[in-house]
Amino acid sequence: MSELWQGSLEKIDDYRWRIPKSYKGGMRVPGIIYADEKLLKDIRHDKALEQVANVAFLPGIVHASLAMPDIHWGYGFSIGGVAATDPENSGVISPGGVGFDINCGVRMLKTNFQYDEIKNKIKDLVYVLFSDIPSGLGSKGDIRVSAKEEKEILVKGAKWAVEKGYGTQEDLECTEEYGAIQGADPLAVSDRAYERGKAQSGTLGSGNHFLEIQVIDQLYDRDSCDAFGLNLGQITIMIHSGSRGLGYQVCDDYTKSMIHCLQKYNINVPDRQLACAPVNSQEGKAYLGAMKCAANYAWANRQCLMYLTRKVFEKVFGISWQKMGMFLIYDVAHNIAKIEKHLVNGQEKTLCVHRKGATRAFGAGHPALPQRYKKTGQPVIIPGDMGRNSYLLVGTKKAEEETFGSTCHGAGRVKSRTAAAKSINVDVLLKELESKGIIVKASGRNTIVEEAPQAYKDVNEVVDVVHNAGISKRVCRMRPLGVIKG
Amino acid sequence: MKVKPYKFIEHTADLGIRVKGKSLKELFNNAALAVFDIIAEKAASFKLQASSCRKVIIKQKADNLEELFINWLNELLSLSATKEVIFEDFKIDKLDEHNLEAIAVGSDMENYKVNTEIKAATYHELKIVKTPVGWLAEVILDV
Repeated sequence: MSELWQGSLEKIDDYRWRIPKSYKGGMRVPGIIYADEKLLKDIRHDKALEQVANVAFLPGIVHASLAMPDIHWGYGFSIGGVAATDPENSGVISPGGVGFDINCGVRMLKTNFQYDEIKNKIKDLVYVLFSDIPSGLGSKGDIRVSAKEEKEILVKGAKWAVEKGYGTQEDLECTEEYGAIQGADPLAVSDRAYERGKAQSGTLGSGNHFLEIQVIDQLYDRDSCDAFGLNLGQITIMIHSGSRGLGYQVCDDYTKSMIHCLQKYNINVPDRQLACAPVNSQEGKAYLGAMKCAANYAWANRQCLMYLTRKVFEKVFGISWQKMGMFLIYDVAHNIAKIEKHLVNGQEKTLCVHRKGATRAFGAGHPALPQRYKKTGQPVIIPGDMGRNSYLLVGTKKAEEETFGSTCHGAGRVKSRTAAAKSINVDVLLKELESKGIIVKASGRNTIVEEAPQAYKDVNEVVDVVHNAGISKRVCRMRPLGVIKG
Repeated sequence: MKVKPYKFIEHTADLGIRVKGKSLKELFNNAALAVFDIIAEKAASFKLQASSCRKVIIKQKADNLEELFINWLNELLSLSATKEVIFEDFKIDKLDEHNLEAIAVGSDMENYKVNTEIKAATYHELKIVKTPVGWLAEVILDV
């Protein structure tokens, strides 16, 4: 086990902990961690808390450097970190606060099927999904686009896919930012990034990305479930993917240029992966324009993946996807920076909110939500590991007040990939999963081991914290039946 | 089995590696070998031959050695993705604190079994130090 983090941590209440501003000279605000005592024990075992303190160095940071209960050691920012900066007060934007996989995110769709109706078809579905949906490193999609179209994708996002016939207007309403964040600037994206994103639309990618067939095994809020049209035993689908090579290259290009901004703008951060520039500087604006392009690419990608999934179900069951009720519940980004309005000490401010492994969680009535979710609050989708559960939550007003409308994004790793590979036998693991009724197909056996349930925190514990802290509310829980991994 | 020119260092979410080299050139070479060893392994029947070789010239400039090191690895990852090539041999012609000129040699990705996607090399906890016997580097790779 790695060294225990020895920094100073003060208990605020059962679910919140503070790293005081005095912990490190240079911190502009305190760090606030959402966790309970049990999760905190694991969190202290890596360098995530030090990273929370480091993020507090960012110029213009407002309120606190925040961390969600699925926090773990990343590079620059911790994974599970939220930081809002005020552009009017020299606030910065950092590519490291978004990550290489820009708009890595997740979408959830429902079906009309009950588990009993299709339990004998799960294996067929998994095999056809695996063969029809390109996954793994370097995988290329059947959805081919010209260079001109690629530019269009970067501006139109999921709308591009819908215009091509890969979805409906309703899908766009059920996507964060309606599937296309405004202000994307294709000219800010390098030729190399275009090249790296070429041919990857409609591909799942690798690593922790997945497509899962799930079943709802627990309802928590009957009214919200009714509003979403969800019930016990109902089959749902979850898709987790991002902006693929295009996003990696955008992050790489701008980290490179922003390293030089540290000196230019006299910015002092303890980790160069926190390289940043003022939001309102030419470099900051260029990154934001390029990041938005990658975010839109990711929304188009998940829309294409959903289209392919619907096609597979149509192939297996011979019924149209509409008749199978395969409607999108929602799509959320969990690696992104957004310009949003929030109340700070009672005053409305326009802030740059970085969510690095964190999900937007706006409460009922928020103007960014489509009419259909104005009463329920924003659906928040939390994928867990392949052996346990995933969740549907809703955002809250309390999140808007405390966390810039943010909550957790998943289970969070607890074991490194190398440690997982050393201690887990893939055949034993697959048998264990099969005995629980979970079928897994992956491009590589390594991926299965690296992504084993033992490598993750228990998502149930993570969700307990965000629910009890009130920064989102449980709606229902799913368990996996069929898993496609990259 | 050939001894690998690197060791893993623990990192919760990503992959950390430690590489050594008798000279700076060897350090850069071993770091690149490590990255592509993690990404892919050769299909059993495949041998890199002149006819299937793909060569790429790489030129990088940077303000300091650490930036040069990160640029080198990220340029290779980027070229590997765009050209769909796995690199397995590197000839570093010129290397000082600010400049690098090298040729990377590899072949089409389809000749390999790809294991892991590395998105990029990061600056987080990056270490490049001179030791009594040569050079040592530690770098965290985003996977």
